Amino acid sequence: MSKTTTEDTVQAERVDQSRFSSFVDVLRYHAAWHPSDQAYIFLPERGGERLSLTFAELCASAETLAGRLAEQAQVGDRAILLFSPGLDFIVGFLACLLAGVIAVPMMIPRRAGSRDASVAILADCSPRLVLTRRDLLIAARPDLMQRFQTNGLEWVFVDSCATGASKLRPSLPLPGREDVAFLQYTSGSTSVPKGVVVKHGNLIENSEMIRIAFGNTRRSTHVSWVPLYHDMGLILNALQSLYVGALCVIMAPVGFMQRPLGWLRAIHEYRAEVAGGPNFAFDLCVRRYQPEELQGIDLSCWKVAFNGAEPVRANTIDRFASTFAPYGFDPRSLQPAYGMAEATLLISTSRRNVGPSMRKVSREVLQRNQIVAPAQEHDSQILVGCGRQLPGEQLTIVDPETRTPLGPGLVGEIWVAGPHIAEGYWRNPEATNTVFKARTAAGGDQYWLRTGDLGFLAEDGELYITGRIKDLIIIRGINHYPQDIEETVQNCNLALRRHCGAAFSVPDQDDEEQLVIVQEIERTFRRTVAMDEIVASIREAIAKEHELTARAVVLIRTGSLPKTTSGKLQRQLTRQMFLAGSLLPT
Amino acid sequence: MLAENPSEAAIRDWCTEYLARALDLPAQTIDTQTTFARMGLDSANSVFLIVELEDRLGLELPADLLFEYPTICKLARHLAERTRR
Repeated sequence: MSKTTTEDTVQAERVDQSRFSSFVDVLRYHAAWHPSDQAYIFLPERGGERLSLTFAELCASAETLAGRLAEQAQVGDRAILLFSPGLDFIVGFLACLLAGVIAVPMMIPRRAGSRDASVAILADCSPRLVLTRRDLLIAARPDLMQRFQTNGLEWVFVDSCATGASKLRPSLPLPGREDVAFLQYTSGSTSVPKGVVVKHGNLIENSEMIRIAFGNTRRSTHVSWVPLYHDMGLILNALQSLYVGALCVIMAPVGFMQRPLGWLRAIHEYRAEVAGGPNFAFDLCVRRYQPEELQGIDLSCWKVAFNGAEPVRANTIDRFASTFAPYGFDPRSLQPAYGMAEATLLISTSRRNVGPSMRKVSREVLQRNQIVAPAQEHDSQILVGCGRQLPGEQLTIVDPETRTPLGPGLVGEIWVAGPHIAEGYWRNPEATNTVFKARTAAGGDQYWLRTGDLGFLAEDGELYITGRIKDLIIIRGINHYPQDIEETVQNCNLALRRHCGAAFSVPDQDDEEQLVIVQEIERTFRRTVAMDEIVASIREAIAKEHELTARAVVLIRTGSLPKTTSGKLQRQLTRQMFLAGSLLPT
Repeated sequence: MLAENPSEAAIRDWCTEYLARALDLPAQTIDTQTTFARMGLDSANSVFLIVELEDRLGLELPADLLFEYPTICKLARHLAERTRR
């Protein structure tokens, strides 16, 4: 693998990372050296009260709460973080680090859904505490109390905790690099969630890699609407700004969905350098663009517009750049990024001021996982590069069958190694061995992380992602496992054959991924059931259980779903038949 | 498009058309008494519908509006009342 280039060594205001063993050190460093600088601002939707914390206030609040946590839990106990958008999440997260309690960020379970991951996560990590707010639990969501009822679990209300007064008890030990910082549950299906075990050392190392790749300094103000329980919202936004001692302005995700241009206005107002999100966020800004809402807006301050968590589309990049160029937006600031919780977060990205790399390939040949130039224009597809490997990281492309490393231009599975790769999955040695302890055929002692993603490295070291080994569905930056959705479908009606349905996604006219369901009907039911009713129940169940809209539901004849000779479902082939219109409807 | 102070029927028709487009369904298959959940509307698409209505009616609407008024009929009645106020 190529060596770290000189461009990677950003000289500007270097944070001496050897000084930091954990974010406890980071927090105290900034609280000591620039205590009255703003660390976080929360912009509520529709002009409610603006909340803010300086580094000193942040440190004091976190230490006070940590004192309470230490009284209620032992070092190494788990604490769920359950917060609506705001600054409580950050204070709660840092308090856990200070108290040596393992933080477990969680999305607030939906009101309607019965089959989300929360129950399985509770069972998997057996938490001692749940950190939340009294007004969320008692006033807004009393149903959560019932849902979280397990033995020995205690609620900690951060809004009934006086700040500033009490001092942290001196007995709390400083966390070391090898201690566990938090568990990130973004992998695995709803029924079998997998918690990535992130150590303090992993977090510091990846934060340093991000700092160098993005060229961040104390002046790199962030503006973020990505939820904090999402690894991108937490690590690439809230913790990166803290790491470099910059301000992070946080907005509510629902506010962004309603008024995406409010994000751009905040970037202008706070002269932010860093703001990003999944690909759909950039599309949403273009779709809801209205010139009268952006009068006097100057986006020339925006240096890093990172785009990650779902496939980066060339169309999106072109449309966004041309729509907002009149407002001073520099297309070179669009920075595609690739990562996953198993690597703490970031695996590769382009560098500041370079702009995205694109490459035209043959669409047809790409289906067979090979890269050639397109013979004709209608066969061409533009791939967007996800940048190069990070300093201190090793990245290689491996044939997933033979485990042989592949040369430039050849498509294989992306394998990664480095100090940011997490320890494994929480109490799951089997999955940990498969995913985190891979070895190439050449042998050696080197362990690799298998990403499950397919891609190739260009001659210049640029990484291009071409697909996935697993049939993961990614919609609006959220991963969905097709098996979960197929099970929901098959539970809707007895007429639907078990294990005889496929869920997958296809891009719509705007290049956004849309969910499609193909499901077999039992032969005996074909004439007796109302197909419209069944389709409506399927749509309802999918919206309720998975927060997804099914754009197409196709009911097909018994035995017509493509399967291998051994009876294994072929989702990719089903998808191709759906696109070609060659499925057999009932 | 919706005129100023639209009638309940106009709001109903507009919602039907909007949802037909958003869900990729023929407009005649959308039943105004069917719940949004049954149509398969997820929270992101619910937010988009609310935003469109806010823009067209000049109202501020809560994000959980469709929980309270779960069908096109109920929603249109409520919104028509609010625009008259």
